[in-house]
Amino acid sequence: MSERSIDVDLTRSSSGQVVKERIYKWLLFACAALTVFVTVAIIYTLARDAITFFDLVPAAEFFTETEWFVRGDGGNFGVWPLVSATLIITVVSAMVAVPTGVAAAVYLSEYATDRMRSVLKPALEILAGIPTVVYGYLALVYLTPALQAIGIPVGTFNLLSASIMVGIMIIPMVSSLSEDAMSSVPDSLRQAGYGMGATKYEVSTGIVIPAAISGIFSSFILALSRAIGETMIVVMAAGLRPRMFNFSNPLNNLLSSGQPMTAGMVNAVTSDATGGSATYLSMFALGLTLFVITFAMNLASDFVAARYQEEYQ
Amino acid sequence: MTRDQMTDPDSRTDNQATDGGRESLANNDLEGSDPTTDPLVDSSIDVDKSAAPSGSESRTVIESRDLDVFYDDVQALQSVDIDIPAEQVTAIIGPSGCGKSTFLRCINRMNDLVDAARVDGELLFEGKNVYDDDVDPVVLRRKIGMVFQAPNPFPKSIYDNVTYGLDVQGVDGDYDEIVEDALRRAALWDEVKDQLDSSGLDLSGGQQQRLCIARAIAPDPDVILMDEPASALDPVATSKIEDLIEDLAEEYTVVIVTHNMQQAARISDKTAVFLTGGELVEFDDTDKIFENPEHDRVEDYITGKFG
Amino acid sequence: MATDQRTGDWYGTDEAVSRLRGQAFKSLCLGATLLALVSVFVLLLYVANDAFRPLSADIGWLLTFAASLLLPTLGATGYYYTRDARAGETAAIALGLPVVSLLLTGGVFITLEHIVTVYQWASIVVALAIAAAVVFAHGRVRTSADLERFIVLVAVPIAALVLIPDLILSLPMLPTEALALLGSVVVPVAVVVGWFVRRQRENDRDGAIAAGLTLVVAAAGLGLAPVVGLSPFVWMLLVVVTAVPVGLYVESVVRRGAGTAGLAFPVLVAGGVIVGVVVTEALGFAGPNSWLDWGFLTDPPSRTPEDAGFYPPLVGSVMMLLVIVVSAFPVGVGAAVYLEEYAPDRGWWGRLVDLIEVNIGNLAGVPSVVYGVLGLALFIRQGGLGSGTALVGGFTVSLLILPIVIISSQEAISAVPDSMREASYGMGATRWQTVRNVVLPEALPGIMTGNILAMGRAIGETAPLLIIGAPAVVRIAPDSFTSKFSAMPRQIYTWSSEIDAAFQHGVLAAGVMTLLVVLLLMNGAAIIIRNKYQRRD
Repeated sequence: MSERSIDVDLTRSSSGQVVKERIYKWLLFACAALTVFVTVAIIYTLARDAITFFDLVPAAEFFTETEWFVRGDGGNFGVWPLVSATLIITVVSAMVAVPTGVAAAVYLSEYATDRMRSVLKPALEILAGIPTVVYGYLALVYLTPALQAIGIPVGTFNLLSASIMVGIMIIPMVSSLSEDAMSSVPDSLRQAGYGMGATKYEVSTGIVIPAAISGIFSSFILALSRAIGETMIVVMAAGLRPRMFNFSNPLNNLLSSGQPMTAGMVNAVTSDATGGSATYLSMFALGLTLFVITFAMNLASDFVAARYQEEYQ
Repeated sequence: MTRDQMTDPDSRTDNQATDGGRESLANNDLEGSDPTTDPLVDSSIDVDKSAAPSGSESRTVIESRDLDVFYDDVQALQSVDIDIPAEQVTAIIGPSGCGKSTFLRCINRMNDLVDAARVDGELLFEGKNVYDDDVDPVVLRRKIGMVFQAPNPFPKSIYDNVTYGLDVQGVDGDYDEIVEDALRRAALWDEVKDQLDSSGLDLSGGQQQRLCIARAIAPDPDVILMDEPASALDPVATSKIEDLIEDLAEEYTVVIVTHNMQQAARISDKTAVFLTGGELVEFDDTDKIFENPEHDRVEDYITGKFG
Repeated sequence: MATDQRTGDWYGTDEAVSRLRGQAFKSLCLGATLLALVSVFVLLLYVANDAFRPLSADIGWLLTFAASLLLPTLGATGYYYTRDARAGETAAIALGLPVVSLLLTGGVFITLEHIVTVYQWASIVVALAIAAAVVFAHGRVRTSADLERFIVLVAVPIAALVLIPDLILSLPMLPTEALALLGSVVVPVAVVVGWFVRRQRENDRDGAIAAGLTLVVAAAGLGLAPVVGLSPFVWMLLVVVTAVPVGLYVESVVRRGAGTAGLAFPVLVAGGVIVGVVVTEALGFAGPNSWLDWGFLTDPPSRTPEDAGFYPPLVGSVMMLLVIVVSAFPVGVGAAVYLEEYAPDRGWWGRLVDLIEVNIGNLAGVPSVVYGVLGLALFIRQGGLGSGTALVGGFTVSLLILPIVIISSQEAISAVPDSMREASYGMGATRWQTVRNVVLPEALPGIMTGNILAMGRAIGETAPLLIIGAPAVVRIAPDSFTSKFSAMPRQIYTWSSEIDAAFQHGVLAAGVMTLLVVLLLMNGAAIIIRNKYQRRD
């Protein structure tokens, strides 16, 4: 061993090393901070052009009127027809996805053998990886004619087949998030149930689902937010014709075409409207509305999910 | 407190500054001033070593003064004062949760990696408070090697594991020679000399731990900290590690945390007993601690009345 | 339920009732799971049927291929499944790897054909080689100047990339294209192969042999390629991108000696195809009149369904992916490294980081159409880039997949055990040294998996492309990042508005099938990487 120096130098390593470390740290921080910039940029750009839009179109018209039609650069911009179509899509797709997704989650988490799970989970992952343009194509070219073939009088473009497809699209989301919530229910709770003489069915429905309910709920919120923002399926299968909700014949709304908010945005940008016109700018107003709704739903889902994590961690 | 003390040492302010030079270290090496240059490890067991009361003559390398450590609001160490002598084995024993690992990790500031940890008081290494603002923990750790509880070789070749410290510290030199030397000192050379390019993870647990020791001594640190280095190993591997530690103490200052009192009695020159609450109850020659401790609580612990 | 049980004997009939209900519930849950899966897979089968139209073939053609290809394959699959699972795994990879690497070869071909010319690429390689030499030499001469070395490390490659390529391209004499390819693609790959084999085998000679073999076989294309009817250019790409990984894999299986029976599978498949083709040609059976054929992949779109092709959108998708790989991945992985390795978790700075993490989670849920609007406003109206260009499309989709890349990379990084980090810090490594030497190498397979899956997401995105003005039809493949481009999903959307049944059930089905096959291969590759990596733990 070499002779020990009494005054060891424990201070900084070479200044180059320190500077280098700092540079890397700040570079990496910049990468992370970029995501904040993205959020700010979304809000800023949407809000700025939405404000210009409201200079051209009175906010009262946008928020209260029930007619949306676009003719060249102008038209009438009452948002309710678009909102009603979005709501129809959301509700019907939830009716498809929520029961199916939760049932799939219960099966995967409580019943499936390891072998079954090793087949079903990747299959659901594949389902989640299919591009929405493909779902839109399936709805337009295969599902709608199939519905017509079994005697449901749907038009070529209709909200029903679009909603069903959106529902199928979000099933993997509901099932995988709900399954995560169910499998994080501690086994001791299940054991306690079995110890009381409960059957597997009673344990699943009476103990596991209630215990995981906030996680399941947060998966619903996320999936619905996904449905609200879904674009290609509705553009391709639901059509681009805005139609106000028909209260006298509610079922009829499903059979005919409609234009949800996302489709309205695509329509505004792919139409021949000139930049800066009310039609073009309506895209930003719709985008802002959509962003606020989905962002709020994501936050709500975080909040609900955080509650269940607190309970079991 | 932020986690960036690694690169931002100046962010730590919660300790008193000391201006270097403490008298206590003026005493020069009294023993081992002519260290053996032969790196070859002769693994005969020196049975009487633990009986040799040599502590009082040795130079102090690490000393703590009034050292408190908190994890958030929980106090893990209570005003610890200790003088750790050079080139001897100092064992730290105590029941689990008594703060012995915390103390070890204070020495090379591994606690910096835990955001919740806060250190008050002084911990001097060669007379310099390691918690001074101008101390770079990276430089400190280059002088104080560490071996962890579970063997944790990198998923790299045996050779690259041993040279890792040299690489990151930018040490020049004949790496082949250093690797051979470190592996010999860690009593591993003969077992792995034909497979230096194979992964360190292919070795058995005991070999892995010796590889970690070789890795720690390759950059030639002044002190080696060991955090229960044998607790994850079987008895045969454990005894090899123990032999190794005794040999290492001829050249290095070794501080070892262990929950195994027999182990401490076998290999250490000095023993520190921490008891619940992070209090250093007694620190003395190992024989004294195990044969005739001053405090009843220490005697109770050693005789197995609690712990 | 509880009251029922109190009334009867403990072994009474009540139990049968409760079990029936449980069984019904279980079947209901299973049924729901299968309903979702089966409905989509049945629809996809319809799409495949429309795209390939197998029934339009002669019955003799179908029977021939059933005998030469289908039966042997099914037999082999059955054998692997029941007898030799290890070989089955080998079989899957041995068949999948050539397909994936052929796909990659196509991507590289498109890149060198339309995006960077071979000469540009060669000049970049030369520039980088010079830069590397300078950095290395500097490290040798000035061993201790840390900061200086860091500056050199950054500045020299940039300077080299700015100055040298133009200099080389302005040279009066350039080697032939094939030679340039040999120097700039084959030689680097051969070096990598040699290095890889040397490391695997711990043997310098084997490494040299592998490198030499790669070089010789590729160079043989200069003379041999015309004989088999390929250009030397395609030959070399095939050798470097397809043959090399396949060869390395086969070699590793043979050396390992387990599951070698699986290597027969791709031979069986290829043999079946060849036999089938030869027999049907000889007997004059007509094959199916598929919409998805070679012509579809290499022709431009057209108003006539029979002529319609997919080539320009394919090129557009490749270009978009290149932009994404260069922009989203470094930033995403960098952000993940910061959040996992650097970010403090307390204090006001820690709260800021918490905010960033919540924000990333929420960005992942923002509808893709909104990202399109962002791209339009940010890159086209503010940044002044042309609307509908590959650059804008790539940047916009990069922003969209950034949260996914970050979250999956974070998962991969946090799976690296803390003991590795402690060991590194305990040796006196700095934070960056620990990240570079320990954390990133360990997390790499996981990061790769996440990034490939994110690429799969990116390749199918349509709505943002509509918003940023990607044109409905692009007839000539784009030749630069600033020219108008179309991507596969964008073209599918265009075709979906054609009412003609030949489009709806023909061309569209072929386009959708192409997109799905590419996606399936990418996801399959990601899953294989993930499984290989998980098993090692």
